[in-house]
Amino acid sequence: MTTMTLNHRRRARTFTVALAAGALALAGCSSGGGSDPKESKEPEMTSQGITLGTPADSTGPAKELPGAQKGGTVTVLQRDAFEHLDPGQIYVSDELIMQTLYNRTLTNYRIDDKTGKVKLVGDLATDTGKSSDGGRTWTYTLKDGLKFEDGSPITSKDVRHAVERLYAPFQTNGPTYLQQWLSGDGQKYRKALPDGPYKGKHLPKTVLDTPDDKTVIFHFDQPRAEVPFAVAMPNIGAVPPEKDTKEKYDKAPVASGPYKIKDFKPGKGVQFVRNPHWDPRTDSIRHQYVDTYDVSFGHQWVDSTRRLQAAKGDDRNGMTFTNAVDPSQISTVLKDKEAMARSMTETQPYVDVVSINTDRVKDKKVREAIAWAFPSGQYLQQFGGPKAGEIGGGLVGPTLKGYNTSFDPFQKRKYPGGNAKKARELLKAAGEDGYELVYGYGNGDTHQDAAVVVERALERAGFTVQKKEIDQSTYYTQIGKVDNKYDLYRSSWGADWPSASTVVPPLYDGKNVYNDSANYSHLDVPWINKEIARVAKVSDLNRATAEWMKLSEKIFTKEVPAVPTFYNRLFTLWGPGLGGVKWNAVYGAVDPTAVFVK
Amino acid sequence: MTSPSQTGVVEKAAPAAEGGAPPGLAPRQLMWRRFRRDRTGMVSAGVVLFFFLVALLAPLISTLYGKDPYTTYGLDRPELLDPLTGYPMKPNGGIDGEFWFGIEPKLGRDVLMQLVYGIRTSLLIGLAATVLSTVTGIVIGVVAGYMGGRTDYFLGRLIDLLLSFPQQLFFVAFMPVVTALFVSPQKETPTYFRVTALVLVLWLLGWMQLARLLRGQVLSLREREFVEAAKVTGASPWRIVRKELLPNLGTPILVQATLMLPNFVTTEAALSFLGVGMVEPTPDWGRMFAKGANFYEGDITYMFFPGIAMVVFVVAFNLLGDSVRDAMDPKTTR
Repeated sequence: MTTMTLNHRRRARTFTVALAAGALALAGCSSGGGSDPKESKEPEMTSQGITLGTPADSTGPAKELPGAQKGGTVTVLQRDAFEHLDPGQIYVSDELIMQTLYNRTLTNYRIDDKTGKVKLVGDLATDTGKSSDGGRTWTYTLKDGLKFEDGSPITSKDVRHAVERLYAPFQTNGPTYLQQWLSGDGQKYRKALPDGPYKGKHLPKTVLDTPDDKTVIFHFDQPRAEVPFAVAMPNIGAVPPEKDTKEKYDKAPVASGPYKIKDFKPGKGVQFVRNPHWDPRTDSIRHQYVDTYDVSFGHQWVDSTRRLQAAKGDDRNGMTFTNAVDPSQISTVLKDKEAMARSMTETQPYVDVVSINTDRVKDKKVREAIAWAFPSGQYLQQFGGPKAGEIGGGLVGPTLKGYNTSFDPFQKRKYPGGNAKKARELLKAAGEDGYELVYGYGNGDTHQDAAVVVERALERAGFTVQKKEIDQSTYYTQIGKVDNKYDLYRSSWGADWPSASTVVPPLYDGKNVYNDSANYSHLDVPWINKEIARVAKVSDLNRATAEWMKLSEKIFTKEVPAVPTFYNRLFTLWGPGLGGVKWNAVYGAVDPTAVFVK
Repeated sequence: MTSPSQTGVVEKAAPAAEGGAPPGLAPRQLMWRRFRRDRTGMVSAGVVLFFFLVALLAPLISTLYGKDPYTTYGLDRPELLDPLTGYPMKPNGGIDGEFWFGIEPKLGRDVLMQLVYGIRTSLLIGLAATVLSTVTGIVIGVVAGYMGGRTDYFLGRLIDLLLSFPQQLFFVAFMPVVTALFVSPQKETPTYFRVTALVLVLWLLGWMQLARLLRGQVLSLREREFVEAAKVTGASPWRIVRKELLPNLGTPILVQATLMLPNFVTTEAALSFLGVGMVEPTPDWGRMFAKGANFYEGDITYMFFPGIAMVVFVVAFNLLGDSVRDAMDPKTTR
């Protein structure tokens, strides 16, 4: 999954000298830093041990929270407007967490209220799936008593429809794992059902079978160990065929979860209210404590931080899914003991890297020199320091299974400003002293500051740096062009589920070198392509995750396609009137499913 | 033959206000005398001169002070910045004997050096734009006023058109286009290129007020007797403009120019504040405000120095403009 935009969008500001003078009159001086070490405690970097739950774990209702009560309205402040409500079209972090309120999928993640431990359990299905035929066939049985918001029962036909409509041409934004596994790589799968299910055609029974109202069977042409995770993506749920309005479904989807959409105003906000036909006995993940979730968009981080910290009026019951405390306000919030008691700092699945364009920087020695010289620590400081992320050692983040804390081949943690000496030696040895690098960066304040740091460090190591600013709004399009003219550029990628299988193939498979692909390094190396194809066939889930992790480390040390800069963290606040706020480690956002108003 | 300029507005008015002015003083000397007596004007002039000296002598200050505006002291020496928040460890923005104005949050550069070099950038751009705009304003204003008729009409409409251009929006749209045209996609946009582009835009959209004002003045002057007399004696239009009209336009030109400069400096700062002016690492006054606006909750001191400096500069320059007008055109004195 991709993060919505560059981390920091430009804020509109008005310029007046009077404003500056007024601010000066208010407070003449400021106190120094030197924060309390207690407050700087960061999340422990134990890798996520997501386990597969048993059928008992999948059976509802979810355990009641102590002190929880029904009623009340929760105000949710979000920066970016939700573009999609159709579960098939959702793929960005804030929408991923939002859909957990109204959309149920075959499996889903159950987060322990106390420990935050994540377990994959059956959601619409009774369990995480039964595999047969050596992992080529997966069978799901639906629970009893499942209903849509209009009271009609959810059957296997609705699940089949939800999957088949993903083949329709208008479905362009969602994840494509299951479709590709069922019907072919890349965009090839669409040929299996060019119009989706809308013209009466269906996938053959040898691919997707629904022998009765309760059973859904997927047939794959090779072992697929990670199907239980793939069917937890928001697009593998249930959509009633007779209520499917195609493109218009994006504005008014039919809810299967505890909440339904009452009022969606694009660009402004959306309201979720109780869905009376949701039965808590069928759901081991969600609660239905709150009457209404009132989500409004357009709140810059500065704005949401100030409101949630002050917690006046409606903001007492305020929260945010993905808005962080603005880096400029971190020190203010840290000093506020009361606000800190209702805050959390958690690691997100997103990894920020600076991709090296291997089409242009062909010499591996030069790429190694870049990796040694890159000032990851100082770079992270510009984005907000330890509250915004942790210096990255490898290409995959700590939320993934099998993450190795000590893996840091270029000693990014030891040298926050980069190891210029080592880089210089490598560059000299390669005979490339003064090598010219074109560094492309989004034209925003933070990225401009970061560019200063990067330029200084790389020039210290003997590179010549040409900085090119790129318009923020088209940043990803610009760097996504295969024939772009940049050597270095930042990008961010998050694992779709806690396995490196959702990182390595999309980012480093030679098949994925095309415009707008996430393979920003344009890496197309035969041995990597072969390894990816081999590991994809491993049928044992634990062995597969371990192999993916090993492969990611090998790609990094052998090919150096990118320099990991930091693993993202979210430092966020919520209002004092709320209970049951927890962290969804899979989506890297604040989880609303157990929230109640005290 | 007496030069017509000595019979012009300035001289005729002077004795009336000065009363017992000693005989034999040229208008220029009289003006200087009046100006010297205006204390506000003298102080403002001193302040303005100080700013120009600082801008001019920035490298010298840097050498004496022992720091430069580019080194990220705070990042190179971790004890200076709080690793958690990026703000200076010491109170008041990290002011101490070593860093007189403190250090910049996050990047940890020296604020005094940033400010001195930022003033240099802004003043250079402002001054260049002022000179160009003044010259253009004079040429177009005088031509429009003196020629009249069709020329005046078309120049008038051109001025209307340009006045209606939103300057900042124009610049936001203009910059990427010229960059794409003139700078190779492989190379960084050179600083001189940005400076030139900024000056060009400020110039292009900054000369109209002066031109309009001068056109009005010339319209009334050209009907005066001394111009008529010059025409009758067969003087060429060029000579009339040079010898008869321009000497009488000195006051509005000088006053307008002194008011134009602080205006350009603030506009340049505003553009940088909006992120379309100068970019890192070129120090810039306006961008310091943009940063200050981000940091003010945690480190108000950072905003303090560029803020005070800008307020002092703009006020001093405007007061200077007023004093110059008072001195040159004593009819308007209190």
